[in-house]
Amino acid sequence: MSNDTSDLPQATGRRLEELEKGLFTSDLSVNEFLLIKEVGFHPLGLVMGSSIYHTGIQTRKWSQSQELTKLTEAMYNARELAMTRMEEEAAQLGADGVVGVRLDVNYYEWGKDAAEFIAVGTAVKAEDGVSRRNKLGKPFTSDLSGQDFWTLVQTGYFPQGLVMGTCVYHIAHRGLGQTLGSAGQNVELPNFTQALYEARELAMTRMQDEATALDATGIVGVRLEEKSHQWGSHTIEFLSLGTAVVKASDVVSLDRPLTIVSLDN
Amino acid sequence: MGDRPADLPEALGRRISDGSFTSGLSVAEFAACLELGLEPVGLAQGFCAMQWSTYAMGGAFARGIAPYGGGQGGYVENYQCPHGMVSGEHRAWGQNYQQTWIEDAWLKGFSSAYSRMLEEAQALGAHGVIGVVDTVGHLSDLGIIEFHLRGTAVSVPGATAPPTPWSTYLAGQRLVKVIEAGFAPVAIVAAVASVRVWAYCMTEYLMGGTAGFFGGASDPVEIAQIVAAQLTAREIVRSSARTQLHGDSLHGASVSVLEREFEKGDLEIQALLRGNRLRRFKEFDALAVPRATVRLS
Repeated sequence: MSNDTSDLPQATGRRLEELEKGLFTSDLSVNEFLLIKEVGFHPLGLVMGSSIYHTGIQTRKWSQSQELTKLTEAMYNARELAMTRMEEEAAQLGADGVVGVRLDVNYYEWGKDAAEFIAVGTAVKAEDGVSRRNKLGKPFTSDLSGQDFWTLVQTGYFPQGLVMGTCVYHIAHRGLGQTLGSAGQNVELPNFTQALYEARELAMTRMQDEATALDATGIVGVRLEEKSHQWGSHTIEFLSLGTAVVKASDVVSLDRPLTIVSLDN
Repeated sequence: MGDRPADLPEALGRRISDGSFTSGLSVAEFAACLELGLEPVGLAQGFCAMQWSTYAMGGAFARGIAPYGGGQGGYVENYQCPHGMVSGEHRAWGQNYQQTWIEDAWLKGFSSAYSRMLEEAQALGAHGVIGVVDTVGHLSDLGIIEFHLRGTAVSVPGATAPPTPWSTYLAGQRLVKVIEAGFAPVAIVAAVASVRVWAYCMTEYLMGGTAGFFGGASDPVEIAQIVAAQLTAREIVRSSARTQLHGDSLHGASVSVLEREFEKGDLEIQALLRGNRLRRFKEFDALAVPRATVRLS
């Protein structure tokens, strides 16, 4: 899908054309801008991708903890679509990568069960003209700030892509018998432990699979998020997100941090 | 790990057999980790879901009648009404007592999740776990508390792994500074103390701001029963943390206190202490002389 930009809206055309002429927009702070310039990159423009997705419904068994695979797929595909569209915008600008990516999910009143998935970031390009795209020939993506991007490059690592894994899980309701059976005791509930454990491990494994596809050395800044969205408290999405990195050089050019005493009040 | 429910989940097997590492470290912490010569090998985590209720000693019947005799061990303190008055609304007796069963259950949940995290770390061939984060939270509306611990498993290239991985809440420059100061992390320390307060008449009047005739004063006065409970919870949690040190030192400790009111005059004071057990392994390296800075913005 990387070179096929036919599904981007028309308005994108003019905005990107202007950006191609040299004007750039970015949501980087001044400090972030300077640090990105310092490691030899130039911001090209703010890029985004969006997808409004009907997440559908899936029947759940009242007393059984299980993965809701249809919802998992929906949540995954919707984010993937938003990310891919953002990458397409970046590719059209000739970018090497996108930094500071934010992934958001919005729900609107007009669409029950529909959600808008948005990915926004700043496209950057290497000033030396050497391509820094990832193994798949696409611009790398990352949720790193300008400061983090600079620090990472100093350690000899380079971002390859924002990777994610998700798992939507239904947690069983407890029957009256079960509740009464252990009433008045604080004890471990092995089935619940096991079910939730499994759900998070699945999300993380899926994230790692994405990193492996990029030939990454590792993933930094992993976040595990848990949200019930609009499904009620017993259905939870476990989302795992991080930036896949590859070791590009053994040279660590990061200075030892200086010890300072701030004289500010 | 003893009484864990079953084996670690199936999905884990594939995750840890992959060659790449996953880390919960921020980029700055990652850089500091490399500076120390530590190699991240993966994100290790452990969970434990526990049925949870905050039932009191002897049920609610025992409250306000007479000192409850059948203790569960630990701290108990009784308060008697000074007015010599008996009525359904007047609490003639009050009591503070340590809820050892809550503390034991908490510790069981926490240490199960902790040992599962260490087990994952061990399966990854790690020497230690840095940047540990723990969360204890309610799971939907089930009356279940879930303990969740996670951290980044690291190894020291070329060294042999210790029998049990060490662990610490620290990461990044704070960990670097601790090691420069000559301390090596041994384990995280977490302890909880739970004191239940059954207020007697005086405490109820003072807490309700109705310290008129029966309270004997309208000036601000100390509420002795609450103060005693607050102090004792902190004392218990500190001594319980001390038993986990085995001669090592505790650094970066923090105590958080949670006060919950179940109904008027019935509260729980819970103190939670977190810290890092550290052991001296070399003399203190002199810290570089700090440079003074002034921000111009």
